[in-house]
Amino acid sequence: MFEGYLSFCQRQPIASVSVFITIIPIVVIWYRRAFIDPAFKLLFVYLILKLCIDLVMFHYASIRVNNILYYNIGVPIRYTLLSGMFYYKMDMKIFKTGILISVGLFILFFIWDFLHVNPLLSDLHNHRMVLYATTLESLLMLFWVLLFFHQTIQALKIPNILTFPFFWVCSGLLLYYSTTLFIAPILSYTEKWNNKIDIGFLQHIPYIFESISMILFGVGTWIFSVRYYARK
Amino acid sequence: MLESDELKWALLIATMAMLMMAFFVILFVMFYQKRQLSQEKKLREVEKDYQRLLLDTALNSEETERRRIAQDLHDDIGTMLSLTKLSLNQLSKLIVDSGVKEDQIMRKSQSLLEETILHVRRITRDLVPTTLERFGLAAAIEEFISKLEEDNNLKLSFHSNTEDAPRQSQKVELTVYRIMQELVNNSIKHSQCSQIEINLQINSKIIRLLVTDNGIGFDPEMIKENNLAGLGLLGIESRLAIVDGTITYEKPVIGGCKAYAQIPVVPAAATKPEPLHPFRREKAII
Repeated sequence: MFEGYLSFCQRQPIASVSVFITIIPIVVIWYRRAFIDPAFKLLFVYLILKLCIDLVMFHYASIRVNNILYYNIGVPIRYTLLSGMFYYKMDMKIFKTGILISVGLFILFFIWDFLHVNPLLSDLHNHRMVLYATTLESLLMLFWVLLFFHQTIQALKIPNILTFPFFWVCSGLLLYYSTTLFIAPILSYTEKWNNKIDIGFLQHIPYIFESISMILFGVGTWIFSVRYYARK
Repeated sequence: MLESDELKWALLIATMAMLMMAFFVILFVMFYQKRQLSQEKKLREVEKDYQRLLLDTALNSEETERRRIAQDLHDDIGTMLSLTKLSLNQLSKLIVDSGVKEDQIMRKSQSLLEETILHVRRITRDLVPTTLERFGLAAAIEEFISKLEEDNNLKLSFHSNTEDAPRQSQKVELTVYRIMQELVNNSIKHSQCSQIEINLQINSKIIRLLVTDNGIGFDPEMIKENNLAGLGLLGIESRLAIVDGTITYEKPVIGGCKAYAQIPVVPAAATKPEPLHPFRREKAII
């Protein structure tokens, strides 16, 4: 078993790093007790679920079993929890409502995309990655991040943005989703057994920026101060 | 193969473009927010300066108006009263032999006139502290407390080290004097005190005014929280804001109240722009 894992780590070091690096923000959130902020609580839940899903995927990948189903399951969970963070950070009610509506619509779209790409659900061996849902997720998340930045600039409530934890979280999300936006639909054609398209190193870009975003989540959480949060 | 290469390039370019955009957005937010904050800070400072200027102008106007009224009282009413007194004196000589009743009325009129002259003089002095202009803070405060002791059953004491200290600018001296007046008046009005102690210390940097009474005291925090500060306390803070001064209130355990004002020293200029003295009109140059 461990040989299989080690062998996978040696063959796919970038993908493996993106799995285990999730532990860093989880530990930091726990250590800094950042989960007292509802947005960070959602991030914490997301990171734990992501780690679980990634470990399962890591296990199946090491024994060469199709693990795309778990990736697909992770997409609506990821959007729900990450966009949920913005629900707590947005000031205007219209945006809060927009986030809730977008979650509902996105889940419906995901189900359609999931069934559209995988007409035969019982065929897990040839299970494919969703085609449009990840791109839509990227677009929506980029929209919420940019909207939050706009709100931050307009409100001028934060004296130093570099010491504002959620800025780092948003920066991580912005970098991750910016790089995923165009690559995501292609992954449906690259991550399959037969007739797959080879995009070379570009295939690793989502993993690289996933790891970078995890580091930025860690940075943001590290500067989280319970005392400051309580004062707010 | 060719299609795959083209796809790779297209993906690479698109991804790089998005990545650059993301970096640009992050940098933009960082710098724009910083710039906006500094602009906001500057704007607040300008607003604060403007408010200070308005306040300064209002207080200057008040002092000018006090001076004008004092001058009018002295020059017009005072002169008229003096002339009336002279006339009454002359008249009293004329009616010496008229009768007892006339003499009584005359004496009563003279006494009332004397009293009126004294009242006018007191009002004039209250309006503009001429002693302050002539002899400085210590003398003005001493005069103020001696007058108070005459009128009230109070024990007032004053300590200062201002003998060797240089005279301060007119604005600073007037501010310290008015604050002292307000604090002492507050103690008399509200604290039911029997003793007030005024301490004035001036060193090379700061003027310290400490007014302590043995009355019932008050909780400054409660007054601030409940917006109970009257015009007196607000007036003190407004005056202090103009000269960059501060004030703190304490409620000692033994009772009473301590008000501690600190004002940066501003030595008087060689020439004084406008005398406080109410009795001198500028001579018209023809």
